[in-house]
Amino acid sequence: MTHERIVDARLHLLSRQVLDADGEPVRAVDDLELVGPDGQPARAGAEVRVGAILVGPVLFVRLFGGAVPVSRQPRIAWEDVGHVGTAIELTVPSDRLDADWVEHWLRDHVVGRIPGGRHDPEADG
Amino acid sequence: MKKVLGVALGILTAIGGFVDIGDLVTNAVVGSRFGLSLVWVVALGVVGICLFASMAGRVAAVSGRATFEIIRERLGPKAAGANLVASFAINLLTLTAEIGGIALALHLVSSVEPRLWIPVAALAVWLVLWRVKFQVMENVAGLMGLLLVGFGVALFLLGPDWGELMRQAVPPSPPSTEHPAAYWYYAVALFGAAMTPYEVFFFSSGAVEERWTAKDLTMNRANVLIGFPLGGLLSVAIAACAAVVLLPAGIEVSSLSQIVLPVAQAGGVLLLALVIIGIVAATFGAALETALSSGYSLAQYLGWSWGKFRRPARAARFHVTMVVAILLGVGILMTSVDPIAVTEMSVVFSAVALPLTYVPILVVANDPQYMGCHVNGRVVNALGTVYLVIVVVAAVAAIPLMIATGAGS
Amino acid sequence: MRVTRWRWVARGAVAATVLAGTASCTVASHQEPGQASAAVADALSQAGSAAETTRIVVAQLSRGRLTGPMADTALLDQLRVLDDAETALTTLVPPDTTSSDQRAAGLAAVGDVTDVVVSTREWDAARAGGDLGGAAAVPPSADALLADLEKATGAVDRALALAGGP
Repeated sequence: MTHERIVDARLHLLSRQVLDADGEPVRAVDDLELVGPDGQPARAGAEVRVGAILVGPVLFVRLFGGAVPVSRQPRIAWEDVGHVGTAIELTVPSDRLDADWVEHWLRDHVVGRIPGGRHDPEADG
Repeated sequence: MKKVLGVALGILTAIGGFVDIGDLVTNAVVGSRFGLSLVWVVALGVVGICLFASMAGRVAAVSGRATFEIIRERLGPKAAGANLVASFAINLLTLTAEIGGIALALHLVSSVEPRLWIPVAALAVWLVLWRVKFQVMENVAGLMGLLLVGFGVALFLLGPDWGELMRQAVPPSPPSTEHPAAYWYYAVALFGAAMTPYEVFFFSSGAVEERWTAKDLTMNRANVLIGFPLGGLLSVAIAACAAVVLLPAGIEVSSLSQIVLPVAQAGGVLLLALVIIGIVAATFGAALETALSSGYSLAQYLGWSWGKFRRPARAARFHVTMVVAILLGVGILMTSVDPIAVTEMSVVFSAVALPLTYVPILVVANDPQYMGCHVNGRVVNALGTVYLVIVVVAAVAAIPLMIATGAGS
Repeated sequence: MRVTRWRWVARGAVAATVLAGTASCTVASHQEPGQASAAVADALSQAGSAAETTRIVVAQLSRGRLTGPMADTALLDQLRVLDDAETALTTLVPPDTTSSDQRAAGLAAVGDVTDVVVSTREWDAARAGGDLGGAAAVPPSADALLADLEKATGAVDRALALAGGP
């Protein structure tokens, strides 16, 4: 971002669509992870910043409570975010994101294997 | 010239796409019991769906965002999630009814049991979703659905007493044998059938699929404002056929075969065959739309990639969702539940669910952040507010009326 | 104060809805005589509807305006309706002798209609070229079927009048 502006987490970040470098939808922002300036867990009274966009199971935690083990928490590093507009645009393609593993798994093991799964519907009538 | 053709095609598909199994069954049931005394509800529903479909199309064309993305952004994950669960469930019920409708129509021509047709119909729906281009799918289903004009032809061939039909319609005069609660129950059902909430997901997402921009708005408005009222006339023709043939005989409509009897009486085998093809096309088209809507709503809420314009592998979760929805529908039908009963349930619950989709669309269509200079005008907002009241009243009244009348019996 | 009152109103509304909902699915064992008659009349109007549908099917089939399979489907649908009507009547527990008589007349009338619909299906199958063997049992013509239907409808109407229906 070249110019400074105020980003409201609730208004401009949460529940916004995340697009990858090719403009393909990845997920919606389900939650944000806050970390200290040194990348350590955030501490009360100290400065914090957004460390990562959290997606997936954390949504259920926000809706119903509970906790997700940190190791099982799909995240998109904030370093990969290129632009915050009406959508959040990443600088990496979705294929390089671990957070999108369900899509990749379904693509490689289910949908891509069915005949016609990689057929471009716009290519012909 | 090409533009004129485009508009004409859009209008024709809007007409053919208006009627689905819900409209078909509810109009025939209502015609056979109340004559044309509920025609005003069809008119009310047609104006409502014109209003909201054009609003949903405009929101999608201007902001490039589909309904459920916006609903989640505006309402937050909790309220939007509750909305998603309710909308998805009712959409699934409608999908089930449509697949059942295809099977019933095929049963009519083949006398092969509907239960054998259900998997065939579901497979065909999936194959089209998997392979056929969005525009082609829409146009073919819509144009073939136009064959339902056969109901109108049948009405003229029957040579009814037009004066008597008019007397039933204006002022609305239900038969004295029917209880007022039953009358209002069917009024709500008919309203739900005409305004089916899935249409809003479908229109907004379809606009994104077809890459509409603000330039396409005029065309969108023409399709909706001309196509839907003419589609509404088809609904009225279905009700009128039932009112002319079935009402005087005291026939209570409980099956698809009864709905098409007036057509056979008026036009014989040829007209009947055309109408049945029309029914198959209309229910098939609606099955495609509801299956897509289930994928759209879930994918947009969770931010997945979606759309038929992508290769299936590039929208894997979206395609898997649709397959699961179709399989669930088949599962429900395989319990040998009567598809007509499912249809009657689905239109009533559609009425209950109406505010869930229409309120957010109305709010967003007034939000300059999304809409810029294309926010609702004064007339649209005035109409929108009137319909907000109607939609909420219908939604609140639906369940108590259903209990009070024993689902209209 | 206000809040609590609203909460009570809400609770009352929920309770009333649940009560109304469960009341409508109570077992038919202890019925008022009026309710039993209404149930009989309801089943009979279904049977009347099935008979009228069959009449249209026969008329259109003999005029060549309906195909065999179509007619068969329509008749099958009516047999299902009649089955429901019969179930409604057989499961009814009449509270007094009047409604017991109404039920008996109703059952007989529904049976009459069912018989005609069954023989209509046979007739339809025979027309379509099916070999039914004992062809003597198959009604020879549409007119005979329509006459039978007339009789069955008459029985339904009489039973309906007995049950105080319209």
